[in-house]
Amino acid sequence: MTGTPADDKPALSLQGLSRRFGDTHALQDVSLDISEGEFFTIVGPSGSGKTTLLRILAGLDRPTSGALLLRGQDVTAQPPNKRPTAMVFQSLALFDHRSVGQNVEFAMKMRGVNPADRKARALELLDLVRLGAEYYGKPVTQCSGGERQRVALARALASDPEILFFDEPLSALDYRLRKTLEVELRSLQRRTGRTFVYITHSLEEAMIMSDRIGIMRDGGLVQVGTPSEIYDRPRDRFVARFMGEVNILTVRDERLAELDTPLPGFADGHLILRPEALHKVGPGVAIDTTVLERFQLGSRVQLHLDTPAGLMIAEQPAACPLHPGDSARFYFDPDAAHKVTE
Amino acid sequence: MNPRFLGPLFMAPVALFLLVGFATPIVIVGWYSLMEPRSFGLTSDLTLANYRAALTEGYGVPFYWSILGAFVTTLSCAVIAWPTAKMLHARAGRGAAVITGLIAVPIFVSESVRLFGLSLFLMPGGGILAGSLKALFGVSIGTVLNTKLAVYLGLLYVHFPFMLFPLLLGVALIPQDRVDAARDLGANRWQVLREVELPLALPGLAIGALLTFVLCIGANAESAILGGQTVTVVTRAIEQRFSYAQDWPMGAALTMLVTLVTALVVFPVLSRVDLNRLIRR
Repeated sequence: MTGTPADDKPALSLQGLSRRFGDTHALQDVSLDISEGEFFTIVGPSGSGKTTLLRILAGLDRPTSGALLLRGQDVTAQPPNKRPTAMVFQSLALFDHRSVGQNVEFAMKMRGVNPADRKARALELLDLVRLGAEYYGKPVTQCSGGERQRVALARALASDPEILFFDEPLSALDYRLRKTLEVELRSLQRRTGRTFVYITHSLEEAMIMSDRIGIMRDGGLVQVGTPSEIYDRPRDRFVARFMGEVNILTVRDERLAELDTPLPGFADGHLILRPEALHKVGPGVAIDTTVLERFQLGSRVQLHLDTPAGLMIAEQPAACPLHPGDSARFYFDPDAAHKVTE
Repeated sequence: MNPRFLGPLFMAPVALFLLVGFATPIVIVGWYSLMEPRSFGLTSDLTLANYRAALTEGYGVPFYWSILGAFVTTLSCAVIAWPTAKMLHARAGRGAAVITGLIAVPIFVSESVRLFGLSLFLMPGGGILAGSLKALFGVSIGTVLNTKLAVYLGLLYVHFPFMLFPLLLGVALIPQDRVDAARDLGANRWQVLREVELPLALPGLAIGALLTFVLCIGANAESAILGGQTVTVVTRAIEQRFSYAQDWPMGAALTMLVTLVTALVVFPVLSRVDLNRLIRR
């Protein structure tokens, strides 16, 4: 065997990264490879350790143990200014005492690029993030939320990083703008071909943008996979719940515990049922329910049902005649349901 | 009541106070500085003789000492106070209050008392500094008291808090994420200081520098108590004109020149600093 060419090495390799703050284990043994040119999103509820992880990846914090390899090279102890990575902060952290142009040029100025080249590149980058040349001299304090977002992005790109980190940069923006910028970020990532590592607590954001998603919980990575892998085959109940509204039923001793229905041949564990998996007609396991609430969701309705297994959620076409107070029998196919053990 | 009058009304007491306590004396001193040398009336012909004499007859040296002393002290205070302020800010809530208190307490003691204490410390032979060095290490040092170094140490010691406390406010204006961002974008520690920390802390630094500079220009006790006869500062020269020399117009002219120098330093700096940033937070 010949040696592996450098190009085959992952852009970023996390090897057993842990971080403790006193007695708190903020990060526990996180291992992961992120490939060149990948859009990787880390999702998790607040407090799951995702910001700690990103700060370690960017070099703003050191892991208590473990190593971080950048294209096969150990950078665990390298300070942030020596790493070929750049970060877009949650607060954006723009230099408010400087103009848009000076913000974008910052990284180049630090490297001693001459002013003329700096300006040319800054204008290029402003164009790339869809801000015109007229923004160049504008104080950042006079920019709107979306414009500041773009300035932060251009500033990070100006250091010509191999990897870009994003710490929930869109969380402060309103819904419409967030949607626009999500699409733009994704297309920017494709055009530049760079590796993006993105952090968010919004699964929807992760699903739209990412090649792969890593779900974090209590400082550890619970599951890593493509958006559809994670959506269709969540590893456990936590991931399933995190991925959206689901109904969870328990299987014990070949019976559905909540409904007391026999399920021959089923191992102990849980069945994950999406709202669309509950049907008005059989075959399948029957559940007698009473409708509690009805919500119109565009072309579909969502029903909250009172069942022997507690609250369950079903989705039906908008024409569904059921209303709060009605009794109804629903069916589901236990063989089609996704099964998890934890 | 018409709200248009509320502002002027609320301002009236302090305006009156400034008029009586500041503007009027300045006008009187300014007028005196234009009187005949060694006269005591306010009615003689106007003349610039005092200013001409002030600039030619050897008053340059006290001026020079005061400005140099103020400049060097301000710079030294800034250099020492910056890391102190950063440390106190970083440790806020963990012992920082105690250290801040220890630095603040001496301000409540009369400046002369503190300077006499310092002179005991610096005294040759039996002084605390020289005595300790001799007893502990067998090292004999020459005298520090009655030298320019002693005056400098005195100025530094007395004025350090006036730099530190505004600077603490200034340092609090630096958000940690901006420092992180600068580091992430490739700035080394010096570049972070120059490009991010100093500009962001500038309001505090400028106020601290102004306070220190203005107080030092007017400082007199340090050279009198610690300096012996080695330096004559400009305030001492003015005092002599008004007392022993009985030359009020000359003293008035020197006073006006000191005021002018101070104004030339203060106003350009104040006009550039956004004081609201410090207060609003």
